[in-house]
Amino acid sequence: MRKIRFLLSGLLVFAMLSGLLAACGKQPAGDGGAQNAPASEKVLTISSTNDIGTLNPHQYNSEMFAQDFVYENLLKYGKDGKIEPCLAETWEISPDGKVYTFHLRKGVKFSDGSDFNAEIVKKNYDAVLKARDQHSWLELVNQMDRTEAVDGSTFKIYFKNPYYPALQELTLIRPMRILGAAGFLEDGDTSKDIKAPIGTGPWVLSEHKKGEYATFIRNDNYWGEKPRLSKVIVKVIPDGETAAAALEKGEIDMIYGSGVISIDTFRELSKSGRFTTLTSDPMTTRVIGINSNRGAAKDLSVRMALQYAVDKDSIVENILYGTEKRADTLFAENFPYCKLGLEARGYDAEKAGKLLEDAGWKLQPGKDYREKDGKALELDLCFIAADSVDRSIAEAIQADCKKVGIKVNLVGEEEDSFYQRQKNGDFGMIFGESWGAPYDPHSLVSSFREPSHFDYQAQLGLPMKKAIDETIGKVLISTDESSRQKMYDYILRTLHEQGVYLPISYRTNMAVFRKNVTGVTFATTNEIPLVNVDINQQ
Amino acid sequence: MRAYIIKRLISLVPVVFGITILTFILIHMVPVDPAHAYMTATNTPPTERAVAAVRAEFGLDRPLPEQYFTWLGKALRLDLGKSYVSQEPVLEELKHSFPSTLLLTLAAVGWLILLALPLGFLSAVFKDSIVDHLSRAFTFVAASAPPFWLGFLLIELFALKLGLLPVMGKGSWQHLILPSLTLALNYAASYTRLLRSGILENLKQPFILYARARGLKQKLVIGKHALKNALLPVVNAFGMSFGYMLAGSVIVENIFAWPGLGRLITESIFNRDYPMIQGYVALMAVVFVLSNLLADIASAIIDPRIRIGDDRVGV
Repeated sequence: MRKIRFLLSGLLVFAMLSGLLAACGKQPAGDGGAQNAPASEKVLTISSTNDIGTLNPHQYNSEMFAQDFVYENLLKYGKDGKIEPCLAETWEISPDGKVYTFHLRKGVKFSDGSDFNAEIVKKNYDAVLKARDQHSWLELVNQMDRTEAVDGSTFKIYFKNPYYPALQELTLIRPMRILGAAGFLEDGDTSKDIKAPIGTGPWVLSEHKKGEYATFIRNDNYWGEKPRLSKVIVKVIPDGETAAAALEKGEIDMIYGSGVISIDTFRELSKSGRFTTLTSDPMTTRVIGINSNRGAAKDLSVRMALQYAVDKDSIVENILYGTEKRADTLFAENFPYCKLGLEARGYDAEKAGKLLEDAGWKLQPGKDYREKDGKALELDLCFIAADSVDRSIAEAIQADCKKVGIKVNLVGEEEDSFYQRQKNGDFGMIFGESWGAPYDPHSLVSSFREPSHFDYQAQLGLPMKKAIDETIGKVLISTDESSRQKMYDYILRTLHEQGVYLPISYRTNMAVFRKNVTGVTFATTNEIPLVNVDINQQ
Repeated sequence: MRAYIIKRLISLVPVVFGITILTFILIHMVPVDPAHAYMTATNTPPTERAVAAVRAEFGLDRPLPEQYFTWLGKALRLDLGKSYVSQEPVLEELKHSFPSTLLLTLAAVGWLILLALPLGFLSAVFKDSIVDHLSRAFTFVAASAPPFWLGFLLIELFALKLGLLPVMGKGSWQHLILPSLTLALNYAASYTRLLRSGILENLKQPFILYARARGLKQKLVIGKHALKNALLPVVNAFGMSFGYMLAGSVIVENIFAWPGLGRLITESIFNRDYPMIQGYVALMAVVFVLSNLLADIASAIIDPRIRIGDDRVGV
């Protein structure tokens, strides 16, 4: 009996201990959404799938929207690709296109009160240039030769070659945004770490509990239009369904972004009538790369047949519930240099069948799939197994292709194995996505030359691949508008005519928010612009 | 007893050593380059130069045995390296996440005791009564409901419909209730049945008949003789389950946005964050060995017939 009592009391102590631990874990600060904030404060609570990260502006291990909250660059990407002033007010480009002079905005202060000037811009850019290899994906960094702080408010960049997209890339969220002097470690090496996230942006990080939440307060030193909100709380919620439940409960005020919640959940929330829902203009293109270097898809007629065999309208309507628009070209026409009037290929199973028939892919009696020289017409379609939307689209494509006698084998895999296929070209067809503004079209086009991209792999079988790559090299250093447009025309038209891409839809950003939130807008893919957002505290 | 515990603790060394070698071999058999995975995780378009730079920085260009021994050498000095993705020391990451998961698991153990002990006990004592039937219904449902579904049902009921508890996050004790309950229910079901059948089994034993013949009170017969013996398999099973709960809270942590080890390790596995995976596995090996040891000691205390080491304990 004694021992039983001993055991039971042990268990009791255990239970009490866990209760005590739970009570100790109580965390009043930063917890709770807008509902328990003081009346004078305007607090917006949003969700993020991942923790915001280290907020190192020169590194890639943070959430981009959070980096955009805190840091700014010399320029800003405006509507339809217009380049707008930010930390630089005006700029000039030398006639040979190799020297850019920026006249910086005066009177700008960092969130710690220190002054913004050409010296600190140089310190930042030089820190990035020191880790060139790491940033080699970005042509801007490859092309930059050196920088110069001429005086307090004049800053010059010297390029190795004239590189026209430099202005676009100076708007990027990373890796070139400006960290305050006090944010650097003693050795100035930001490729390792930073001391503190000090920027000139509209928000300042005030509290960060890793994996739980981060609190940003308004930057009172901000030079631009001051945010209406006084505070933004970002709660880490990995699961979309949980985020939706948290929104319904009032623990968060807004869900923002692409792919954060499933399309089904988005539809449910918008149908409930309790929230406002918005979708943005085309951000990126959901596209399928067709491998011109492997199997049956080496044949141009097979690639073209695929373009007509897939019923994209039905995919948009039945799988995407109309939240995305049907895509006919790799880049939407609202991107720079992309208004080319390329042929929009709609669903036409008959035409697809005829194309195959003419190319010698015959349907033998009693068989479901076409054959040529004893070889069956079959292709692998690779996607990430956990992505339910891609999976549904893949199934729709498989069914459509069967109707015209093409056998599509679905290969759904875990994320890294999938990316591995993108990189080594081990696919017949594979899901991909364009990069969105401000990268499209120039950065994506530039990456066509990188063997580790599925674009490169898919294009490898084209007889004119070499000419395409050479033109890409030229277009990026072109200085003349009209010849640049001509070169883009050649590159994009050739790829379109060769049927290397099967564009499905233009992806959009989505926002779902409580009715008392106003002023929600969309910018580029990875930004959450909150400057105009207001909340009516109930 | 003490000698036995020391012996078991010493046996930890080869276990952890063996496990680290095994994980090291296994993760390197996966056909994904961690440098590429790193670039995917950080949203950097991979270029050959960048991949080469990352490989050199992480030491991935070195021969495998060299990589392992470099890691081991540092690990012996409690330096588990830096996470590839977050760039934070692995030990710091584990120290940051472990307490949250431990708290969740302890609370789940609380639920386990609160649910399984009375249910198992009552359903055995009042076999085939309404209590027994209800407990059976509970165990069927709780054992067969997958946690991700159960979690959302609990959220729907307690957070949205009744508005009693928060949906997600860590904070007050209210935040702990739903995730720990979700984690515990599966285990509670099996422990209820284990305890029930254990008690029923024991009630058939001759020593119970003898106890009754001696005229002992029913309370004493069941409490001292039957329950105590029936607890033995439960405690042993618990030694394993505690480790599983600590290691297996992944789904619960994702649903309830609980900042624990489960979330950390799933991300690390997807990102091929080798140092994180190695560190986590080493930690879990220690946890499993320790929780089994504790269970062995506990069973020896309950049942003095069990000898551990050369001593008899608990007399």
